Amino acid sequence: MNGNTDSNVLNKKFSRRKFLGVTKATAIGGVIAAGVIGGVAGYLAGSTSAPTVVKTQPGVPTTITQPVTKTVTTTASVPVARKLRVGYIYVGPVGDYGWSYGHDRGRRWADERFGVNQVESTYIESVPEAEVSGAITSLVEKGYELIITTSFGFMDPTAEAAQKYPDRYFVHISGYKSGAAGNAPENMSAAFAEFYQLYYLNGLAAGAVTETGVVGYVGAYPIPEVVRHINAFVLGANYAYKKRTGKNIKAHVSWIFEWVAPEKARSAAIALVEEKNCDVLAFTEDTPAVLQVAEEYQKKGRKVWSFSHYSDMREYGPTAHLTGQIANWGPIYLDFYRMVATNSWQTADIWTRIGDYMPYRWRLPPEKSTAGKPEGTVYLAPLNPVIPSEWQLEIKKKYEEMKELIFEPFSVEGNLGEPIRDQNGEVRIKNGERADHDTLWNMDWHVEYIEEPLPR
Amino acid sequence: MSIEWIEQVLQLTVQMGTVYLLASLGEIYAERSGVLNLGLEGMMLMGAATSFMFTLAYGHLSAILTSIIVGALMGLILSILVVDMKLNQVVVGLAMTMLGAGLSGFFTFPEVRKNLLLRLNPSLPEEVLLIQQAQKLPEIQIPLLSNIPVIGKMFFSHNLLVYFSFILSIAMWFILFKTRIGLTIRSVGENPSMADSLGVNVYMVRRMTVILSGVFASLAGAYFFIGFHPFWREGVTAGRGFIALALVILATWSPMRAILGAYLFGGVETFQYRLQLFGLGAQSPYFLAMLPYILTIMTLIIISTESIKKRIGAPASLGIPYAREE
Repeated sequence: MNGNTDSNVLNKKFSRRKFLGVTKATAIGGVIAAGVIGGVAGYLAGSTSAPTVVKTQPGVPTTITQPVTKTVTTTASVPVARKLRVGYIYVGPVGDYGWSYGHDRGRRWADERFGVNQVESTYIESVPEAEVSGAITSLVEKGYELIITTSFGFMDPTAEAAQKYPDRYFVHISGYKSGAAGNAPENMSAAFAEFYQLYYLNGLAAGAVTETGVVGYVGAYPIPEVVRHINAFVLGANYAYKKRTGKNIKAHVSWIFEWVAPEKARSAAIALVEEKNCDVLAFTEDTPAVLQVAEEYQKKGRKVWSFSHYSDMREYGPTAHLTGQIANWGPIYLDFYRMVATNSWQTADIWTRIGDYMPYRWRLPPEKSTAGKPEGTVYLAPLNPVIPSEWQLEIKKKYEEMKELIFEPFSVEGNLGEPIRDQNGEVRIKNGERADHDTLWNMDWHVEYIEEPLPR
Repeated sequence: MSIEWIEQVLQLTVQMGTVYLLASLGEIYAERSGVLNLGLEGMMLMGAATSFMFTLAYGHLSAILTSIIVGALMGLILSILVVDMKLNQVVVGLAMTMLGAGLSGFFTFPEVRKNLLLRLNPSLPEEVLLIQQAQKLPEIQIPLLSNIPVIGKMFFSHNLLVYFSFILSIAMWFILFKTRIGLTIRSVGENPSMADSLGVNVYMVRRMTVILSGVFASLAGAYFFIGFHPFWREGVTAGRGFIALALVILATWSPMRAILGAYLFGGVETFQYRLQLFGLGAQSPYFLAMLPYILTIMTLIIISTESIKKRIGAPASLGIPYAREE
């Protein structure tokens, strides 16, 4: 943190604190008295709940005054103990199963790891995209230093706020604007937990268990993120199915044009099973609706399989659950907490994949693989024993290889040595090529095994 | 297109359409007596939330019964506000929608839900307290009848609430058009002061129909949750209460025509995902979803012409609070 900008804000809002900062820099003896004044200032500034915290500049002694008559004093040589204030803005309700719930779980995870006494985090839920500027301003006014906005539509207002409040830090989830990318101020970072590798592994599981040779996908919106997940899933399914039977997989996609719409996902899933005889269904929709449909078919004696999405959804389909993709946003948040707390901010454009934020990032032999266990930011849900053991090993092998980015789904290796073609037969990934960031980020074509055209 | 395919599409159409049918049946009575219940969506949400909680705590029967009670209470509040206090029906109705959405979200918020469930039934196992799904209503196949080609699956292979909606829509049509009670309700909606002068208790009739619409809306919500897709989220009915309001116009305030209208809306919703798999509809997904609304607007245009208005038009004093002139 730049001391200059910091004192600017103090000047504007907390003039007593600035005064306080100056005295403390000169005389350590005044620390306790300053703490008391700071406590009063903090109280006047509107902080309501205990404990009251005095924010100080780095490199100077810090005081924490608690109502319980306990005063802790540290000097610069000891790690700075101040309470970090983090504000989150969610697009949906947190009481939900979906996207915002996942972020809130990440928030709690990060708070716990960082130390609940070291951080004070809050959130504003169900913020419509048009009203996000107001929500950011209110968090800034309440003194939150790190503000995390978690919906694509929040991107531009977040970038504007970063411009307006250079002394605060902003993290935007699922967008492409950051100081690192050069299209936003330095105090803004972007982050996303990317699933396409896990979708490929789901595809392997699908191809390994399908009896009809037809897989289905319930898609939210035809945007590059979902398109690459569908393509990755279908490539994986084709890999396993072709290796098993020598035939190409057939894949069908039904779009619901909603992120959260369990009843629509239900209708779409039923349509895929009944119309096209799909027996494995992957999906991008924030509830376990598709898995629930698969489970209902299982109960009726028809073998239909599905996956977890964002959270472990096994309880919604104990029989029908094959595996799935799970995200933990916590490590990403924790990283930013640490940066802000230690004044070591670095703008970043984070796109986490398998292997990122994992304590042990080297690949393990398949039989020792951690596939199916929580680790890092994106990981595989537990594998259902109905997946034949040789394919379980294959999934684990590829999972481990992806930790070191040895294996890439969008390469000829991911397609049994064949170049990857789109629906018009045009070669998109040639021999020796691996999809790069921009290819993945802008993907607007379906792989050849998908029957329906991509709506545009 | 085999027989099975048609059977299945029809069956799913009825499953989806029942949500709209149940919600619109009560609304038809309320509007026939001159009260516009715009709080339908909120009442559906309350019914869905109640059925969710009580299915977890005590099972389906308690869920259906309690959602009827909750719906009646919501209807009672609305009737006090718009019938007795004569407040603006549009404003109060929208407020009821927000009230229902807020309350249902609050009671089902994870922490609150956990505590409430433990209060309701302390013996519930830990894993049930935070789950977001409930047991679905079982399907009851009616012997012999459910084997009839085409209509067997459509009418005789459903859960209890669907059968209930069949019987009710016919019974409610009969009551509304063939009995004295129905005549009273309609006269109150057409000309309340005339009805009053003939000795009809206008306020009581309107109170009753509004409470009835609350009960049916709540049942529709309960059906949507435990009968159609048992996954809870805030705002689970996703605006279907407003679709039911459009359906009442499309059905021109007749429970019989509401059956057709409900299955039209339901059918379109089911059909649109199937159409995509024939390579249609994904380019403009809202086109098919729009069709029932176009029909509704056309209905409005048709019934606003003078000659037809007299026969099947809107109740003349719909939305106008009745104040007795002493």
